Amino acid sequence: MEQPAVRLARVEKHFGDVVAVAGLDLDIVDGEFFSLLGPSGCGKTTTLRMIAGLEFPTAGAVEIYGEEMGLRPANKRPVNTVFQSYALFPHMTVRANVGFGLQMQDVGTAEIADRVGRVLDLVQLGGFEDRKPRQLSGGQQQRVALARALVNEPKVLLLDEPLGALDLKLRQAMQLELKALQERVGITFVYVTHDQEEALTMSDRIGVMSGGELLQVGTPEEIYEHPATRFVAEFIGETNFVPVTAAGPDVVALADGTRVPLAASHPAGTELTMTIRPEKVVLFPPGGEPGPPAVTLPGTVTRRVYLGNSLFYDVDLGAVVVRSRQENAPGAHHFAEGENVVAAWEAASAVALDQ
Amino acid sequence: MTAPGTPATPGLERAAARATARRGAWLAAPGALYLLLFFLLPMAILVVYSFGTRTATGRTLLEGWNLESYRRLFDDVVVRVMWRSLWLAVLTTVICLIVAYPFAYYIATRTARLRNLLLVLVMVPFWTNFLVRTYAWRVILGRNGPLSTVADWLGFADVRLLFTETAIVIGLVYGFLPFMVLPLYASIERMDWTLLDAGRDLYASGWQAFRRITLPLTMPGVIAGVILTFIPSFGAYVTPEILGGAQTTMLGSYIQSQYLGVSDWPFGSALSFVIMALMLVGTVIYFRTGARTV
Repeated sequence: MEQPAVRLARVEKHFGDVVAVAGLDLDIVDGEFFSLLGPSGCGKTTTLRMIAGLEFPTAGAVEIYGEEMGLRPANKRPVNTVFQSYALFPHMTVRANVGFGLQMQDVGTAEIADRVGRVLDLVQLGGFEDRKPRQLSGGQQQRVALARALVNEPKVLLLDEPLGALDLKLRQAMQLELKALQERVGITFVYVTHDQEEALTMSDRIGVMSGGELLQVGTPEEIYEHPATRFVAEFIGETNFVPVTAAGPDVVALADGTRVPLAASHPAGTELTMTIRPEKVVLFPPGGEPGPPAVTLPGTVTRRVYLGNSLFYDVDLGAVVVRSRQENAPGAHHFAEGENVVAAWEAASAVALDQ
Repeated sequence: MTAPGTPATPGLERAAARATARRGAWLAAPGALYLLLFFLLPMAILVVYSFGTRTATGRTLLEGWNLESYRRLFDDVVVRVMWRSLWLAVLTTVICLIVAYPFAYYIATRTARLRNLLLVLVMVPFWTNFLVRTYAWRVILGRNGPLSTVADWLGFADVRLLFTETAIVIGLVYGFLPFMVLPLYASIERMDWTLLDAGRDLYASGWQAFRRITLPLTMPGVIAGVILTFIPSFGAYVTPEILGGAQTTMLGSYIQSQYLGVSDWPFGSALSFVIMALMLVGTVIYFRTGARTV
């Protein structure tokens, strides 16, 4: 296997009695856009800071391109960071901010001017060289922070919720821009965010963290379609949880005994949770439902909510209420509350979770 | 109907602005009155006296206006006293800055609880009268005081500190250190520490990060501390009077002796006024240049 850009081996970080990161093993591949996704306090920022050298692990090792970092300070690591609040130097111009890293590395004045100019063009901030940070908008400050890190041509760029302070429209535009930029410069990005949509939009792979642990690592599709734990399923997107009991190879029973196919190899009698995304549950008028191998269960619409681009229905299946989301597509049949329907899904769309 | 965005009655808006300004004037009035009565007025009297004439018997005549007192500012004795005051004040300020900066940095980076305790400790000396504390130094630095005893032990025979410039600087540093610590603390405490993280992340060593980020950003504190230390040191009266000797006269004592010693009010007034004007000009220039670096 190719050498990973960043390797974390059993990395732990304790702050006094608080365990911020509990035994993390992770390889980040050279050139990928990797996101660490989790709620605040899950240890994602601490993990990033340990890669940057701004914190040191209590135990375990951080390797960057095969080199063990140990207690090497931040200024001697081949990585740069885009900070959450940008951390632009308020007393320096944009030019001085962006040139700071090169200056510290004793790069010649002419080369600094050249590289600063080029990176500012890259982030579309040409002409802003002599402004102070406070004279820039939030989006422009964000670009300066990005330019200030990128100009050093780091092997790995670390980004700590860099879009968090921007408004929604700008954030969405920047997401696509960042991804395009990453592909253009070919640098490994490690991106920390609590925004699942952001992670899904940009990442080649996502690592989901909670309580200092890495719960699952995979592509956005893998994470979304095959969540490994209940937390992952719930944190990313919307989902249904249905309590079931294993009833044989790849068959489970709902609370009322109804048998439903589900890929699971647990011994019969094991209590499990079946998770299925609302958009995978399709509603049909009785008699109009597809035949096997689709799973079909009759039920009644108990709630209908109109969201504009889609609608969701809560459907009482007897044993459990599941939510179904349907695109508001042309010609789509809309159901009314109280209407009898058949809920259907492909067996492969549902995932069995340990409780 | 009025167009959207234009106030219905423009006159009302102006009246509101005037009312705000009036309220501001009332708030400033007590302070302004105080300064007028007890600063500007005495100052004016001082200026008037400085052009007066001293009689042979030491009386001041407010007639025969002349510039004699201002000419005498360039006498050797006066220039020597001025240089000495300037030198000792600069020395005091520099020592205070060197001692106070790391200390203020230390305080600012402690936990909130320890920080408050340390700040209280910085201010504890103020609970005792300045005169008493300065007299205490006389004991410490005196011929049979603890310092000379220790020096004796170490084999430095006959160390004489009291009534020297060294004693004055020790006393001034001791007295004015809190005035350096507090503004420095305030500006360091306000620092955004992620800026230092950013500096380190951008290849700055600890020292480079301090010089390029921390120091410039805490410059307002440095400037405030320098002004608060330098000005009282330059015009110090009590400390040089108690710890200094006849050979180490500073401006404060010299001015005092013009009034109470030789009864030369015009000259004392001229000296006071010129020094104050110089300090004012110096402070304004310092603030202007300082404001630009931040």
